[in-house]
Amino acid sequence: MNQNRDFYAGLLATAFFAIVLFVLIPIYVKVPSFIPGFAPPPDMWPRVVAIIGLVMGILAVVLTFPKMREASRQQVTGLGSRIISHKTLIARFVAVLIVFAAFVFGMPMVGFVPATILMLGVLFVMTGNFDRKFWMIGLALVFPVLLYLLFTEVTHTPFPEGMLFSGRLSGSLSDLVTLI
Amino acid sequence: MWNELLYAFDAVATLPNFLAMFAGIWAGVIIGAIPGMTGTMAVTLALPFTFYLPPVTSILLLVALYKGSTYGGSISAILIKTPGTASAACTVLDGYPLARAGKGGKALNMALISSCIGDFISNISLFFLAIPLAAFALRIGPPEFFMLMAFSLTIVASISGRSLVLGIISACLGLLLATVGEDIYGSYRFALSEDMKSGLGMVPVLIGLFALPELIKMVVFRPEENNAALKLGDNRLTLSEFRGSIKSICRGSLIGVVLGAIPGIGPSTAAFFSYSEARRTSKNGDKFGEGELEGVAASESANNGACGATMIPLMALGVPGDVITGVMLGAFMIHGLTPGPLLFQNNIGEVYALFIGILFSSVFLFIAGKVTANAFTKISRIPQTLLLPCILILCVYGIYSIGASPFDVTVLLVMGVVGFLMMLLNIPAAPFLIAFILGPMFEDNMRRSLAISRGDLGVFFQSWISWGFFVLTVLFVVLTIRREWKKWREKRDVANNATSAS
Repeated sequence: MNQNRDFYAGLLATAFFAIVLFVLIPIYVKVPSFIPGFAPPPDMWPRVVAIIGLVMGILAVVLTFPKMREASRQQVTGLGSRIISHKTLIARFVAVLIVFAAFVFGMPMVGFVPATILMLGVLFVMTGNFDRKFWMIGLALVFPVLLYLLFTEVTHTPFPEGMLFSGRLSGSLSDLVTLI
Repeated sequence: MWNELLYAFDAVATLPNFLAMFAGIWAGVIIGAIPGMTGTMAVTLALPFTFYLPPVTSILLLVALYKGSTYGGSISAILIKTPGTASAACTVLDGYPLARAGKGGKALNMALISSCIGDFISNISLFFLAIPLAAFALRIGPPEFFMLMAFSLTIVASISGRSLVLGIISACLGLLLATVGEDIYGSYRFALSEDMKSGLGMVPVLIGLFALPELIKMVVFRPEENNAALKLGDNRLTLSEFRGSIKSICRGSLIGVVLGAIPGIGPSTAAFFSYSEARRTSKNGDKFGEGELEGVAASESANNGACGATMIPLMALGVPGDVITGVMLGAFMIHGLTPGPLLFQNNIGEVYALFIGILFSSVFLFIAGKVTANAFTKISRIPQTLLLPCILILCVYGIYSIGASPFDVTVLLVMGVVGFLMMLLNIPAAPFLIAFILGPMFEDNMRRSLAISRGDLGVFFQSWISWGFFVLTVLFVVLTIRREWKKWREKRDVANNATSAS
């Protein structure tokens, strides 16, 4: 199992730092035409780090081979067969990604409070434990509202109202705060 | 002097001063324990109230908030793996494993006691060493700072766990993410979007990396024990446990005092430095990161030890060491006190009153910390299936409130996913954390030093302070290579024996 993990970690690190070194740094780290005095250019440090990361990634991959030779049982299994054997887990992970993405992209539309209520409710459902249904429903509805009240009162944070409900929902929440 | 001290004692021992300190400490502990709410926020929010208070009461209130929030960060770090403040990030490494093992109460008590001792030593040093320490702090320039950071980064080797290579990969990832945004000369790096031009916030990255992977793991794997709450276990800290950590507490406090007195360092770096030193020297060093009380003690004594010491450059030189003392500088000015050498000549009465008041604050910290931590331990009785999603929502609100920026929330969620993938691949998160915090200081000081010296590397070896840290760094790297070599040979021998036996 560890051989698998080390191999994939090394592979992923190698790919990531290679992309950083050969693609991202040339495009996204601009070197100004004039640097005052002798100041190292802005791309020097990211390059050094990416090179060390790349070397370490390759080293992690290389180091797994002697271990694999020692025990044939522990050889690295193909990525495809690993995905097939862990279908449910991968589906759940993808579902988490979808929930997070939906929150990030949906929050400006539905507003901060409704978006957090929805996300909390969905996450409770995704935990797969329904022993405390009433607690889950109650918390999903009340907890985000309490936090909204706390942060608007204490830190005066302007939470997004949401394009769909602009004025109405936030207005009612503001009224509630004023009432309290 | 004694007459002035007596006068100062009389001036400080008033009900409004005690109330201000008590309220400040209490509010600070609660604010520090809420993820996303920082000490800076607490002090800034309290600033308008100080307009209506006498000068000494105002400053005591702000100092109390600062100290309380620094300790408060450890409560959420231990109980819910969410560092309330950046300076408590190191406490997570041992605090949360202790909580998982049913020793959350012990960890909280150790954090409180070491915070109070660190705080007290820091206060004493403020009283007696303000002037000499401030003079020493002024000798630390970018080259010395760079060497200090280089030495601090060597801790990556000792917290990498099973694989040093994966630890270095994790640290590189942290160093790289820390470069996102504008550099010291105004160039943008990895600014893939407009929001990224200001860089990635430290708090969203840290909270995302530590708090969220637990939730994702629970949703993906749904282990049986999810339904169970964390057991609080034995609350009491035994004398032998305290005695076992006393060296680390004293060393951590002194590290906090010295590093806190240097402008620009602050409690977070002090906590990491103290943790790495405790790990290097402790006989239980191998158990650090798996739930070692000494690790909590080292980190907490240093971060609170730095709190009082950050007042040293502020009061003695008029130089604020960090954002919080910057806000306090404003409070001093508002009340007609000008920090710096003249403060000790023109307002010596107020200075002594502040020193005495700050000394008292350690006692208030202990009382408020004890009561609040006991209240917070009830969190550990909540089932994980209810607690973890609520923590995510709390983090989302807290992070959004820092800068009213949806981008910070996106960073939080993305870092949660990255942290989960790192967990799956056995890549340790602790080196990432250290590199992300220390990396910018390391790079900035390297570039500043080279700019000052026009590219001459000799700038790094011009003072005995630089030399001292350089020798320590080299020594530690050599020891690490030797240790890894030994480990590799032992493994090879075991494998050879197994082959010959079969």
